[in-house]
Amino acid sequence: MQAELQEHVAFHLTGKRSAAAPDTAADIDLRPALLARYRDLTQLRYDFPLLLVRNAAADRTCVQSLSAIIDGLAHAVAHDDDADRVTHHLLRLEQQIRAAVAAGANGWLSALWERAAQQLLLHGDDKLKDSFARARAALKVDGEVVDCGRALPTNILRHAWGAVQEQKARRFRADISRLILKLTDILQADFAGSKAGRSASSLKASVGNAHEDEFDFDAMSRMLGKTAPRSALPVARRRRIEALLNVLKSQRFYGGIEGATAVSQPHSFVFDNCDSALAAWRERLPKAVELAKAIAIAELELEAQYREAQHDALFAAFGSDGLDTRDMVRFPDYLICLGDAQLQGAQKDRLMEIISAGLPMKVLVQTDDILEEATLGGDSHLAFGLRSRQLANMAIGLNDVYVLQATASHLYQFRERMLKGLNFAGPALFSVFSGAGAKARDLPPYLVAAAAMESRAFPAFTFDPSAGANWAARFYLEANSQVEADWPLQRFEYEDENQQRVAENVAFTVIDFVAADLRYARHFSAVPRAQWGGKLASVSDCLGRELKGMPDQLPCVLMVDRGNLLQKLVVDDKLMRAALRCRDAWHSLQELGGIHNSHAERLLARERKVWEEQQQEVAGRAQSGATAATPAPAVVAVEAAPAVAEEPARSPDETYIETERCTTCNECTTINGKLFMYNESKQAYIADINAGTFRQLVEAAESCPVAIIHPGKPRNAGEAGLDELLKRAELFP
Amino acid sequence: MNMAATECLLQMFEEHHELEDYQSGVPRWCTGCGDNAILTAVQRLCRNEDLRPEKTVFVSGIGCSSRFPHYMKTYGFHGIHGRALPIAEGVKMARPDLTVFVNTGDGDCCSIGAAHWIHAIRYNMNITVMLHDNQIYGLTKMQASPTSPIGTKSNTTPKGSYLDALNPLTVTLGVQNVSFVAQAVDWIPESLYDILSAAYHHKGLSFVRIVQRCPEWLPKIHDPAMHDPNRILLLNHERGLKLSPTLAKVYKNQLTHDPLNIDRAREIASSTDPIPVGILYHNPDVPCYEDTRHSGQLRTTELIEKGLNKEFDKVTVWPQDAEPRAA
Repeated sequence: MQAELQEHVAFHLTGKRSAAAPDTAADIDLRPALLARYRDLTQLRYDFPLLLVRNAAADRTCVQSLSAIIDGLAHAVAHDDDADRVTHHLLRLEQQIRAAVAAGANGWLSALWERAAQQLLLHGDDKLKDSFARARAALKVDGEVVDCGRALPTNILRHAWGAVQEQKARRFRADISRLILKLTDILQADFAGSKAGRSASSLKASVGNAHEDEFDFDAMSRMLGKTAPRSALPVARRRRIEALLNVLKSQRFYGGIEGATAVSQPHSFVFDNCDSALAAWRERLPKAVELAKAIAIAELELEAQYREAQHDALFAAFGSDGLDTRDMVRFPDYLICLGDAQLQGAQKDRLMEIISAGLPMKVLVQTDDILEEATLGGDSHLAFGLRSRQLANMAIGLNDVYVLQATASHLYQFRERMLKGLNFAGPALFSVFSGAGAKARDLPPYLVAAAAMESRAFPAFTFDPSAGANWAARFYLEANSQVEADWPLQRFEYEDENQQRVAENVAFTVIDFVAADLRYARHFSAVPRAQWGGKLASVSDCLGRELKGMPDQLPCVLMVDRGNLLQKLVVDDKLMRAALRCRDAWHSLQELGGIHNSHAERLLARERKVWEEQQQEVAGRAQSGATAATPAPAVVAVEAAPAVAEEPARSPDETYIETERCTTCNECTTINGKLFMYNESKQAYIADINAGTFRQLVEAAESCPVAIIHPGKPRNAGEAGLDELLKRAELFP
Repeated sequence: MNMAATECLLQMFEEHHELEDYQSGVPRWCTGCGDNAILTAVQRLCRNEDLRPEKTVFVSGIGCSSRFPHYMKTYGFHGIHGRALPIAEGVKMARPDLTVFVNTGDGDCCSIGAAHWIHAIRYNMNITVMLHDNQIYGLTKMQASPTSPIGTKSNTTPKGSYLDALNPLTVTLGVQNVSFVAQAVDWIPESLYDILSAAYHHKGLSFVRIVQRCPEWLPKIHDPAMHDPNRILLLNHERGLKLSPTLAKVYKNQLTHDPLNIDRAREIASSTDPIPVGILYHNPDVPCYEDTRHSGQLRTTELIEKGLNKEFDKVTVWPQDAEPRAA
């Protein structure tokens, strides 16, 4: 190895740089080379900022991206002749809003729009004004505008949760209002039929005083008294219905129920720690059981299906061991928003308790920094994103928890999966990396978050137990870029010393991601341009190679300085080992997602071997010239004809009816109702052959429209006119 | 485990019924009348589906067959001539939780009630309609009906009727939104039951024409078909009726017909000899009027009062000096 590279080798192996070497990484403002183009995000069109649409349905439209909204508006209002102009104007407006939001402005879209439009119109003409006015008129949505940052995960999840709860509330309100109304109807109907309800004064009150002089309510009361129902509502049923009404009207799970007693505020279901959420759950559980029970009994009451003898005992025990998840679905879900710093010790236990018990709670665990230094083991052990990774793994291991792990930058793309988790009947864990806590070199949180996902430091996935019974259905990993590869390859173009354009594919590894963080500068050492050569290799190449003995190549990352000059930095071994761990973790995720699945690959190899052997055998036989006998054709299974239930062969002497074909026409039963009778399906059979004469049998056979009565032979040889009757009976063998 | 415990609780003690629970009185129909066969099939259907008598309504018009509701121990409405369908639609609109059947005769449905018939098909409400078609006015003692075959001698057509019979199947199949059309004959009880059962299970208006005997006024008209099984064309399909071995043994003239194919259905429906028996057309995807029009709003006393007042206000003559009240 070249002498000048010696000190870099030493650095790579020990992490100690020689005193002479400049501490470039820390001193100079560097960023990963692949991020060189993204110095100013406000100049780019991308998903952010987002609009949390007010009063939205609980579907993908509840979160919209500003650029999609602008595209929609341009499409809606631009005409053929001015399409370019309007689109251009709207794009300027979009950029203005984006820049304002990036600079810290917040608020509703309508307000931001107004401000941005005013600023642009200061130097604009009438055409600009016209474009804005037309688009503003077509803008039908409004709500809070949020950018990617520390507050985003909580904001977006709370918003989506709110939309889902509102949907539930609507269903619940309709249900409860219906039950209240119908139960009240039962009581009112009873009153209307009672003596008091039919009194003249009550009748008068119900008709109103518009035409009271022309009406004789006393006479009406007397008349109605005659037709009064004999039985009133049983006392026990009345009490039960009153008790049900009381429970339904005083519930505090949802507000806004028609006919409810306004006693107290509905409960809040948003919490910022597990303890208070659990305490609230425990406190409210008896009321939830009571309400679920009341709803079930009310449904039975409305159908008049409540049987005291059976139902009393059953409902006494109802919910004694909690409620079924399927019963819980109608109640609001709890939302708990946590920062990962909160998740220490007891809090973590609480969280596991919540999700393992299947409580209907949706938990957001937000991580702001996945590169924080490990608390144990000091310098020797780098654990990137270990805490969130461990949490998600544990939750997946429980098998019936919805798990979503994503970076804030991709929450918009995951909005439907987020809603799925919120709609999931059971606990859901949302582990989100915001990118806002990194000690990054002036990178906006969006870039940090997106880079974390891209570099496999914080891969995105969902685990949805409701999607099917196996991993293939439940696990979703495809949102990560180039999911089959270890590291995603990106096109990287630059200009070399001779002003020639050079393009190559560069992998974006976890080391590139770490390189963007100042705290890790000591793991990198810049290599002067003069020493660049064959001994420097990319990190991904080095990671892909088995390391044995002395390294013959040094891993380095590409970075750019403020002047966009390319730099190469050697990475120390410790970081390389951390990167390997990160890659291995990615590999196991890939396997869960069915990519490079080791079991499948082993099986495939085995089958391929068998197949190849068979092929060789066949080839060998063909070569030896032996005319191998063609394999016997598989025995074709003769499909058995559907078995026809053979009727017993009837003797012509037997008396019988083909009951199944009887049309209930009453002909035979009219002739003799004891001889012929109907069975439980009201079809005729011979009930008592001794109850009638042979003549009646023959006459019935003749009058039967479908000729299914067979008289057979007479039982009484002495019956009059037998010869003639036998002749007539011959028509019905 | 498909059902939550609470749901099981709600269904645990549902009552089961016997044929007697649906029988009421002794039918006044003539011996040998096909109405008896239809009544039996319907009572069996109610029993087997465990329909709750207090949740079931039979609506009829006028005619022999329209006495049907009297013989069912359920709710019933013996309506006015030709108006069974609109009454039934009103019942269904106000009480979508009820199971509604309509019994109507060939005179009731195809003559005086023809306009209601056409529009009921188009509205496609979830009702099961049985057209008891005996091809004659029986209650009034033998006058030609729209479905009487040409040449039928009756009190109103002593020289024989002059017009070709109307075909209720092709008419129904020609109306927009038609969703279920079938034909049965009263003398094959098994297929009659199966067809009525399929009609009951269809969500939408199911129209079943039942070719039926009148032993009093047209006693011989169906003899050829009754005595020769080959004059019955049994329709079968995996989406339609599946024939039992016993039925298939007697009636060998069979045709596999896809009930979604309306063009073929119209073709088959035009045949009168052999008589097609089975499901001609069945499209489960036609929307029901009561579903598309249902507001979902709870009908509280306040809502009804407000609606009534709004309607009254439209026609109220206000005293001249008073200002019209705001609605």
